[in-house]
Amino acid sequence: MTTISLDNLDNIKYKTEIRQKTAKPLLWIGLMSIVMFFAGLTSALIVSKSNSIWIKLEVPSMFFVSTILILFSSLTYQLSLSFTKNNQLKFATITTILTFVLGISFTVTQFYAWQQLYHSGVFWAGEQSNPSGSYFYALTALHLLHLFAGLISLLVVVTKSILKKYSPTTILGIQLSLTYWHFLTALWVYLFFFLKFIA
Amino acid sequence: MSAHQHPHEEQDFLFKYVFSQDHKMISKQFLITGFIMGFIGLSMSTLFRLQLGFPGESFWIIDFLLGSWAENGVMLPDKYLALVTMHGTIMVFFLLTAGLSGTFSNLLIPLQIGARDMASGFLNMLSYWFFFVSSVIMLISLGVEGGAASAGWTIYPPLSALPQAIPGSGLGMTLWLVAMAIFIASSLLGSLNYIVTILNLRTKGMTMTRLPLTIWSFLITAIVGVISFPVLLAAALLLVFDRSFGTSFYLSDIYIGGQVLEHAGGSPILFEHLFWFLGHPEVYIVLLPALGITSEIVSTMSRKPIFGYRAMITSMLAIGFLSAIVWGHHMFVTGMNPFLGAVFTFTTLLIAIPSAVKVFNYITTLWKGNIKFSPAMLFSVGLVSTFISGGLTGLILGDSTLDINVHDTYFVVGHFHIVMGLSGIFGMIAGVYHWFPKIFGRMLNNNLGNVHFWITIVSAYGIFFPMHFLGLAGVPRRYYTNSEFPLFDNLFDINTLITWFAILAFFGQLIFFFNFVYSALRGPKAPQNPWKGNSLEWTTGVKHIHGNWPGEIPTVYRWPYDYSKLNDNGDYVTGEDFIPQTVPLADGEKDGGEH
Ligand code: HEM
Ligand SMILES: [Cu+2]
Repeated sequence: MTTISLDNLDNIKYKTEIRQKTAKPLLWIGLMSIVMFFAGLTSALIVSKSNSIWIKLEVPSMFFVSTILILFSSLTYQLSLSFTKNNQLKFATITTILTFVLGISFTVTQFYAWQQLYHSGVFWAGEQSNPSGSYFYALTALHLLHLFAGLISLLVVVTKSILKKYSPTTILGIQLSLTYWHFLTALWVYLFFFLKFIA
Repeated sequence: MSAHQHPHEEQDFLFKYVFSQDHKMISKQFLITGFIMGFIGLSMSTLFRLQLGFPGESFWIIDFLLGSWAENGVMLPDKYLALVTMHGTIMVFFLLTAGLSGTFSNLLIPLQIGARDMASGFLNMLSYWFFFVSSVIMLISLGVEGGAASAGWTIYPPLSALPQAIPGSGLGMTLWLVAMAIFIASSLLGSLNYIVTILNLRTKGMTMTRLPLTIWSFLITAIVGVISFPVLLAAALLLVFDRSFGTSFYLSDIYIGGQVLEHAGGSPILFEHLFWFLGHPEVYIVLLPALGITSEIVSTMSRKPIFGYRAMITSMLAIGFLSAIVWGHHMFVTGMNPFLGAVFTFTTLLIAIPSAVKVFNYITTLWKGNIKFSPAMLFSVGLVSTFISGGLTGLILGDSTLDINVHDTYFVVGHFHIVMGLSGIFGMIAGVYHWFPKIFGRMLNNNLGNVHFWITIVSAYGIFFPMHFLGLAGVPRRYYTNSEFPLFDNLFDINTLITWFAILAFFGQLIFFFNFVYSALRGPKAPQNPWKGNSLEWTTGVKHIHGNWPGEIPTVYRWPYDYSKLNDNGDYVTGEDFIPQTVPLADGEKDGGEH
């Protein structure tokens, strides 16, 4: 990189080189801050749990479905990267779209799960609410908020792969989005077990 | 380059000065915004010091500046709380976090590691503009109905959680939270860039043990920020839920105005845990860059290698790590289990070790140095002084058995102003004096700088040293007046004295601001390397160019502290008393960072 002189600074090649070098570390450190965000929230729950009026809640059955869906979506997304690497771009596009659909289905099941909670008398806020319920809603909704960012990145990848912008060597965009997506899956699995066994 | 020139001048202006992605311009933007905020925070403290020193007396300046926040020239009690809260918030976050890190990380990281720019110029630009928007919202909150947030810079619930609690708990508090959420986003974007740039974009030969200590301090600061700010964001979000949606994360068994509220099951102590998990590391987010900056200056201006380079790095790493496990020392009086209190006492006192190592190394670097007392050097030595005198009272506050006696008194106010406020400010000002030639291409006036330093150090100690005695006598912090308690009557003169020093400090800073603005526009042109420094930023031209070096980026061959290095004959190796990092090692010469 030191060989590139100033004249080339606005040069696309230089910019791509910097991006290649720094995009992944940027993402990873960003993920670290999200980890700390949820570490803060889940430790808050552990502190709140010691209160005498804490009510232990059952995980709504829909959350199991969510878990399966998001695990599958990680798998399909990973497949799509492999397809791109093998230059089977058509399959890659299909699996990316599939991932997106699975992501949407995950979102839908989250809403169903909240409905289940609501009907079983677990409220987000107000007189009849208990902090344990509020944590259920807050943690899952904040995860979903992060998932929306993932869905947007998926949309970009879907569009670009339909436009045939990827090739076995230009895959940085997919890799970034994929890493983030796996992270969301891992985060969900963590939250799921945390809510099931600790909360 | 010509192919890239924009046809419209206007557009050029917009991208060069406003939405710039160049780290040097972004650094200037942070500096100027930070200083404006700092000036506002300083003015607030001078105003409420007037009230504390001369309670109930009428001042036209208070009438003039505070308007409806005052009556007949006397500030209103609830507005006093708003001013203290905003003063603390602005000083800690806006001046000494964004202002300090934003300015110097942006300026020095690419220049000192040998990079064209930050990893992502775009995120860097966003980081500044988030900071800007956050500053504007924070200032707007001063003008809203009910006044600005008044629950202290620590915004403990229930005052912060119940909009109807006190006047500042309403819209003012909401805007405080919005501004801080945006601020946290800005800080995270900045930190991401700093870390990745340092780790990935160093020039050839720039190993981690050849980095200037400034860079190490920015790196550790950014890591501490990435780890702790998200937790504050989490805390603030739960607070927003309690305030606006009626959840009970922090509230329980509470009634207001005789009316029982329906909140149940939460705990305000939970907020304290989450807040101080950021709050304590935040102290080091303020302090570490100041330590890095002054290490660099002390070495350069003593014309000696920094003593214990590796020990300096290790102790900063240790401080960074320990800062995450000491937060409980702010909570000794919350009914904490005494055993847990002892644990936090232990971890807190551990920090004394790396801190003492740093102080030792500063002093041994100065020892027998060929010292040049530039204003930057004066402020750096000032930092060594405040770091010692503030650190010593930290030992008292870190010990749970002693802290319980002085908790929430002026002893604490004296302690944290000296160790964090003054050290942070001294480091920042030292950095501005030292790198002003690099930032603006002109020199600051030395005599005004010296006057500024002596006024500042005298008035700073004059303000904050006596506060310890007030605290030991039991004067509580965050009180509008102390004249209502016969117990404190004999302390009255101390309060007046402190206020006189505060006024002196204020005028001292005006000298600096004048020097700053005048020199930026009219100061004498700077030479390329005014302090005969070794690090890479002095190999770039005085005039800023996009990409920093016109040709290739220089290669680095040695650490940055080869000052007054002698060869076997007892002469300076290069004929001068400094050897820039770009000079190759001679045969058999050892690199200083390696041992
Ligand atoms: C000449 C400069 C300054 C003066 C005269 C001053 C004065 C004061 C005083 C008297 C208080 C306590 C008021 C009370 O408890 O009723 C206070 C609070 C505070 N100051 Fe300063 N200060 C100055 C500079 C700074 C700086 C540089 C910082 C940066 C760290 C800072 C941070 C704070 C904080 C965090 C609080 C606590 C606010 C709260 O209680 O919520 N101050 N200041
Ligand atoms: Cu602390």
